[in-house]
Amino acid sequence: MLNAMLEPAPMAAVAHPADKQVLFRLAAIGKSYGSTRANQNINLEVCTGEVLGLVGANGAGKSTLMRILCGVTEPSEGTMTWAGEPLDLSAFSPAEARNRGIRIAWQELSLSPNLSVAENFYVEQPQFARFSPGWLRDYHRLADQTLTRIFPGARVSTSRLVDDLSIAERQMIEIARAASDPDLKLLILDEPTSSLGAERSKQLRSFVRDLTARGIGVIFISHKLAEVIDISDRVVAMRNGQLAWVKAADQTSISDLVDAMGGAGTAKERTTKEVANTGHVRVRLEGDRFGAQPLALKAGEIIGIAGLEGSGQRDLLAALFADKAPRGITRDGRTRYVSGDRGREGVFPLWSVLDNISIGRLARRSPLALVKDGQERPVARERAGRLALDESRLDSNILDLSGGNQQKALVARALDDDADIILLDDPTRGVDIAAKGDFYRLVREIADAGRLVIWHSTEDLEFLQCDRVLVFAGNEVVAELAGSEISEEAVVAASFLQPRQPVEAPSERRAKAIAVALRAIPFVSLFAVFAIMASMNPLVASSFGLELLLAPAVTLVLIALAQMFVVGGSEIDLGVGGFTGFINVVSATLLVSTPLLGIGALLGGLLGYALIGFIIQARAIPAIVVTLGASFIWVGLGQTIQSSPGGSAPPWLASLFTWTIPGLPTPLVLIVLAGLVAVAFDRSPTGTILRAFGSGTRALERAGWSSVRYAMLRYVLAALFATTAGLYVTATNNASDINAGASFTLLSIAAVVIGGCQLLGGIIAPLGVVAGAVTLSLIGALLASLGVSTDFNAAVQGGLLIVILGLQALALRRRKHG
Amino acid sequence: MAESTLAFLRRRRWIWPLLGILILWGALTVLTARFSIYSLTGVAVSASFLLLPALGQMLVITTGRGNIDLSIPSTVTLAAYLSVMTANGTDAGFLLSLAIVLSGGIAIGLFNALLVLGLRIPAMIATLASGYILATGVMIVNAQINTFSRPPLLAWVATGRVGELPVMVIVAILVAVVIGFMLARSAYGRQLFAVGQSLEAARLAGVRVKSTIASTFVISAALSSLTGMLLSGYAGGAFLEMGTPYLLQSVGAVVLGGTLIAGGSATAFGTLLGGMLLVMIVTTMQIAGLPPGAQDILQGVVIIAVLSVAGTRIGRQAS
Repeated sequence: MLNAMLEPAPMAAVAHPADKQVLFRLAAIGKSYGSTRANQNINLEVCTGEVLGLVGANGAGKSTLMRILCGVTEPSEGTMTWAGEPLDLSAFSPAEARNRGIRIAWQELSLSPNLSVAENFYVEQPQFARFSPGWLRDYHRLADQTLTRIFPGARVSTSRLVDDLSIAERQMIEIARAASDPDLKLLILDEPTSSLGAERSKQLRSFVRDLTARGIGVIFISHKLAEVIDISDRVVAMRNGQLAWVKAADQTSISDLVDAMGGAGTAKERTTKEVANTGHVRVRLEGDRFGAQPLALKAGEIIGIAGLEGSGQRDLLAALFADKAPRGITRDGRTRYVSGDRGREGVFPLWSVLDNISIGRLARRSPLALVKDGQERPVARERAGRLALDESRLDSNILDLSGGNQQKALVARALDDDADIILLDDPTRGVDIAAKGDFYRLVREIADAGRLVIWHSTEDLEFLQCDRVLVFAGNEVVAELAGSEISEEAVVAASFLQPRQPVEAPSERRAKAIAVALRAIPFVSLFAVFAIMASMNPLVASSFGLELLLAPAVTLVLIALAQMFVVGGSEIDLGVGGFTGFINVVSATLLVSTPLLGIGALLGGLLGYALIGFIIQARAIPAIVVTLGASFIWVGLGQTIQSSPGGSAPPWLASLFTWTIPGLPTPLVLIVLAGLVAVAFDRSPTGTILRAFGSGTRALERAGWSSVRYAMLRYVLAALFATTAGLYVTATNNASDINAGASFTLLSIAAVVIGGCQLLGGIIAPLGVVAGAVTLSLIGALLASLGVSTDFNAAVQGGLLIVILGLQALALRRRKHG
Repeated sequence: MAESTLAFLRRRRWIWPLLGILILWGALTVLTARFSIYSLTGVAVSASFLLLPALGQMLVITTGRGNIDLSIPSTVTLAAYLSVMTANGTDAGFLLSLAIVLSGGIAIGLFNALLVLGLRIPAMIATLASGYILATGVMIVNAQINTFSRPPLLAWVATGRVGELPVMVIVAILVAVVIGFMLARSAYGRQLFAVGQSLEAARLAGVRVKSTIASTFVISAALSSLTGMLLSGYAGGAFLEMGTPYLLQSVGAVVLGGTLIAGGSATAFGTLLGGMLLVMIVTTMQIAGLPPGAQDILQGVVIIAVLSVAGTRIGRQAS
């Protein structure tokens, strides 16, 4: 039966209307990842002015196919023709796809959360950017116009950060952003309405009809089958990486589509016996969240955990797995957790299947316990046998197995003799149908052996395998279905029940207050330190006093700005201090004696940084190690050029930094200038893309931006600021010392942190960093004027860094829970 | 055939540093008459001092996610000062001094672990900052240091020989064997590798993730402290920049030895060979008469080059 289902149905050729031309033709396209075939023998055409509906279960290969269509993934075999012209598959990049007018709104949304709405439009449609300070205004207009055209009445401010928007708003922007291309030829909408209400969904469909009237082709992928039938001209069903069939939309029906998505094969009828369960109570759930009566979950039962995604199902699993169960949940027995997110939460990719299974036993042993392969192997083999997992593959790497077999290995890991409760977190995600059938049998066997199975699934059909189902909505159990009450319809209906207590909106005002406070830290502390110093010595506030006080701060400001751009890419430059020292030495020696060689050395420094950026990005090596290695190179070079402090500044360099504007302290002017340059760059189109890369490379690469090129740019930019810092040191000290830069590395990181940047990247604040850097360098002066030995400087700076990072961590944690 | 050779090399990555050592040794013996088995023991002693902090660094790096211990140099220096200050020239006093130095090291490790796990500060910044605080501690004790009355036992361990073999080399190899055995044969090794490959998967498999990570910082700081103490015994005192070379070299030995910089897989034997190779490179440069600056350059270049060629994930990519 299953086998018959897996056979691709004979291709029902549906002729497309004669007046339409073929836009995109795929012939025998296939894609393999190791031993798994994500796509196989795909023959498909998309015509101008046509909506092609695409349906298929999770893991059917839709996403892979879409990634192939827009150049993100290169197919392993087959040919593609665009408007009659054959495509060179290896040269078909995301950028190439865009040039031809292919745009996609991704299901998992590819917006950069740390950019504004308008800036996100720039990332997707960079072709309109002018070289002018007001360039972003065009994008505000474009974003606003497109949004109003597709979703009339949806008021989204185009200057808001995407991070602050609701999921529905983000989805609208993802769609509008893709559709705003004036040269659009093919628009792919991947689950475009998953977070949209009925009204917005209707607006979108009417927009799609407008598009087709203009001859644009649209591919519409959705699990909302009624919408697919409503909007499409033809419908394609995919199953197991292949096309199951293609039909005209008016010749198909919802039940047709459900069958095609593989619903039929899994289990339409309940297979479980209904006997009163008298097992030992393993878990008891009490309290308002779980309904009026306490819920008793017993050994031998399979309990389904259902509900719309994110309604509290996973929180329950996490609570049941926690060392100490929270209030209202009592647990009697040991738990094991099996996640369906195998890549992130399941497999250990460097290990064999055997090691992946045996870690379950070893994880709970005393660290000093001995591990003997001879003891682990028989246990693993016995479990593999029970799960129908081929024993001969125990020594293969885990990633060589198919998704279904990997999942079996993860279940085998959990099958310890002393495990009483097995938690399954959407375990069949991305597992093919045949393996699913096996898996369901296995889960029943586990329960029959006297264990309690708690099974969270995102596929409602799977709950037919359960004895009881708890349906969640708004973090509450809103329904309990048992035995014959369980059906897909009942589960879906219950998911939409209102929770008894209104869902608490997270205290947004408080989160905002914390964010504002964090952003104000550098300015407040700068003011405080300055006020203290001025009150101790009024001369400080004079122009001359400022001149003396701020002169050393300029260096730190420049280096901190250099560090800021690196941190913006969620990396750290441990070599920036050494590099500044190197520039200091070069400019005080070579640049004086042999200017040409000196300039060559300065350029060499920039080139070195470009190379660092390239190595880090292209070879995926941690920035810390590369920049740590580089710091030794810079210091070594400096030492080789000049082994002890000395040298002098070229006269022109000195005059470059030591002019005066009457009444204004020069260092203050320099600091303000440096800050303005950084802000201007950060707000420029290039700076915007750099910032976007800080929140992740995938979205940007899909939009056709080269991560390697921008990584190099980021490091060159940092080097430019650090070079200026080195030159400034030479000009003002009229001498050089290779060790002078060393202490700036930690200080620059501290300034960046105080300035309000996030070390995880993406959020940078040039003005905050400037204020933070000035504060830090004033603290040095303050300590000196208080008579504290300079020996303590490092400790104070290090301690300050720890305190501020600690505060940030606390604030963020509270924000999460608040 | 080629496939199985590749698999063999992939599993035994320490082959490469071993190859490097043999080539360098061969070249030196041919090129200079001065290099001999005797100089090799000199190299071995220097490598032994490096090996202890490098093994600690290896454990920290193996926990993955960019974890690294940058407080090693300050810990080494501080420990050297502590052992000078607490020594009274007797072996009984030495044991007390050892207890003080080791518990100081453990305290530093716990502090680092607290910053990384409790406050969730990225390890590189946490250890960089705590290193600066320790450096201040060194400055303060530096002002009050007196002459070192070296305990005989410490002197023997640091400079003595059993037959032809320096005691220090034996100590270092013993430590490497213990750690190597822990990694390969104990549940701790499996738990550590699991954490390094995937923190979430390890947690859900039941590994005590936090205590595993914390233990690596503690071991690293304890080994660094031990190194500082032995160094003071070797050099007959303590000085400010004593630990500085161990910042880059501890990372270098780990990288050259074939431990994955991304975490999840480590080899103590490889680190031993990597440390040896690194020290040989430095020695070669000294013999060649290169200035100290050039030595720094070459070490930096070697580490970056090895990483660029080897990549972070030797083996396969997670799909």
